[in-house]
Amino acid sequence: MTNLTHATVAAVHHAAEESSHSITHMMVHLMIQLAVIIIVAKSGGYLAQRFLKMPAVLGELASGMIIGPYALGGKIHLPTLGTLFAENHGFAASAELYGIATLASIILLFLAGLETDLASFLRYSVVGSVVGLGGLLASFILGDLIAVVWPGNGIDTFMDPAALFLGVISVATSVGITARILAEKRKMSSPEGVTILAGAVFDDVFGIVTLAIVMGMANVRLSGGEVNWIEIGIIAAKAIGFFVVVTALGLIFARKITSAIKQFKSKEMIVSTCFGLALLLAGLAEMAGLAMIIGAYIMGLALSRTDLAHEIEHHMRGTYNILVPIFFCVMGMMVDFTAMKPVLLFGSVYSLLAIASKVLGCGIPAWAMRFNLRGSIRIGLGMLPRGEVALIVAGIGLASGIIDQGIFGVSIMMTVITTLLAPPLLVKSFEGGSGLRKEMAGGSEDIQSIELTFPSRDITEFLINRFIRALQNEEFFVHHLQTDQPTYQVRKDDIMFVLIEDGMTLRINAPAEHQHIARLMLVEELLSLSDLLEATQKMEDLQSMGNNLLAGMF
Amino acid sequence: MNLKKLLIKESILPNLKPGSKEEIIRQIVDFVASSGKITDRDSAREAVLAREEKMSTGMQNGIAIPHGKSDSVDQLTVAVAICREGTDFDAMDGNPSRIFIMTLSPANRVGPHIQFLAEISKILSRPELSEKLIEASTTSEMLALLTA
Repeated sequence: MTNLTHATVAAVHHAAEESSHSITHMMVHLMIQLAVIIIVAKSGGYLAQRFLKMPAVLGELASGMIIGPYALGGKIHLPTLGTLFAENHGFAASAELYGIATLASIILLFLAGLETDLASFLRYSVVGSVVGLGGLLASFILGDLIAVVWPGNGIDTFMDPAALFLGVISVATSVGITARILAEKRKMSSPEGVTILAGAVFDDVFGIVTLAIVMGMANVRLSGGEVNWIEIGIIAAKAIGFFVVVTALGLIFARKITSAIKQFKSKEMIVSTCFGLALLLAGLAEMAGLAMIIGAYIMGLALSRTDLAHEIEHHMRGTYNILVPIFFCVMGMMVDFTAMKPVLLFGSVYSLLAIASKVLGCGIPAWAMRFNLRGSIRIGLGMLPRGEVALIVAGIGLASGIIDQGIFGVSIMMTVITTLLAPPLLVKSFEGGSGLRKEMAGGSEDIQSIELTFPSRDITEFLINRFIRALQNEEFFVHHLQTDQPTYQVRKDDIMFVLIEDGMTLRINAPAEHQHIARLMLVEELLSLSDLLEATQKMEDLQSMGNNLLAGMF
Repeated sequence: MNLKKLLIKESILPNLKPGSKEEIIRQIVDFVASSGKITDRDSAREAVLAREEKMSTGMQNGIAIPHGKSDSVDQLTVAVAICREGTDFDAMDGNPSRIFIMTLSPANRVGPHIQFLAEISKILSRPELSEKLIEASTTSEMLALLTA
């Protein structure tokens, strides 16, 4: 009996030791993988940005392709740990590494939702929606159809899950690349710029809804069922219902939720709680048969209209910068070059159609609305680049077994080609005159400028800093925008205005209804400046202060 | 901003008597002090007067927003006073002032102090509303106009 007990204890002990050894072993392997990924992906991203003037995501993807299991990573053997990156049951990443990549994709979509400018989307919603919808339909239908008509790939119906995925992958525009070019060319607020940005929001939101529907249909098909139109209707209603209901609830209760969260009085707590909620909604979305990123995006979207949006974004930026490149690098690692060879021609045609579908799908509605040919081409090209969302959708397709390595490679190829082509073409297209058929009827924007010019830049900068502190004391959130001129976005509840330091001039662009607060606070700060000047008169002689400071130094 | 939380019937003084700037401020500070919200009425009055010395808070269309920061209050304290006859408050447009919105806020406390003034100024910038406010006969009517 005692012997038996001893034996059992020893066995348990041994098993525990072994499992702890294997977990430690697994974690050591993971840490080394992460170290390699972070350093290589970040360097790749940096090189792409610095020398090729391309988005970092391309460098990160390329890094992944180089260090992945199908390239260098499969050839590097580490002592005691084995291959650096090995294929795992036909999948390029281990479960734990893929877990971290998934977390990164959730952060990415949460922040994408958070940065969505719903207000400007609503303002330009008509033309933006038409342009976005045109691009969405054209790219979805062409992306799906090419898979159906292409011979020898085993896809023969429009409703085939793989075909549907090819359709969805080519839908989502990555407006980040376009936005950067528009900002550099100072075309962000041009009619084309505004239309592209509004169109991209539409495209994002409905791209996600399309993904939700396709996920639902694919799940039915994968479990052996036949998708009929009634079922499609139910799935679509469920997906759209989830999206609309949760987003609407989020937008309605965002203020209440954030004011409850604000009780914590600690920014770290506020940000962590909001991120926790994003993860929770991601889990709920997956449980509802949608994708996790949909939940994360909705949470971001709901919070985007609150004054916490910038705080969350600001606090999560560091995590984002470290984790998101891991996601893109892991996506790159999944590209199996041998699986891609047979589909290279298909990939080229798919990419070509992805270009044509956006240029025509967005350009034609733009042309029909109020733009001339030049403006329509600009809009079409602006909507061209695919990026993060396409990669995430492709990753989901690969992980769930709906698409194979070859199709996954094709998706990456399309993403890279459209992202590479968009910047030079867009820059070229913005040469020349107006893109409007007739000049837009007078600016209907209610934004007015308040300007104060001071005798020196130092005084302007000093007053702006004091003004910002006063705003923070009034519980406003002041967000420093990364622009050439020092620019700050000031938000509190539904109040929003922009503060710009333009040389010696302080400028505030505020809607008429929010000018009162800006003006009153500026007056108080101007008066406090005069107090300060008075106080300096009373200061001890500067010469003697200086002498006291330097006395005894030499 | 929810004005209803800050403005109550008891913070409205409907019959301010005309007088000099000092007298007007004294009347309003005394009114607020009578509700026990001010610990040291002299220092509260001095804070408001000091702000007036720098620049008058008499605005246009009969509205004035005297305010000051003082540790004689422990939270944002507000009062609305109406002087139907109008009184000289050194207003920007030279016209007599009739509606006074006074705020006192603790010196180094974070909170929406100026925002309160901004919100109420926004409401009063509608001339028909300030007229109705002056014509209102009870503090309940006045409160209803300001917080509608």
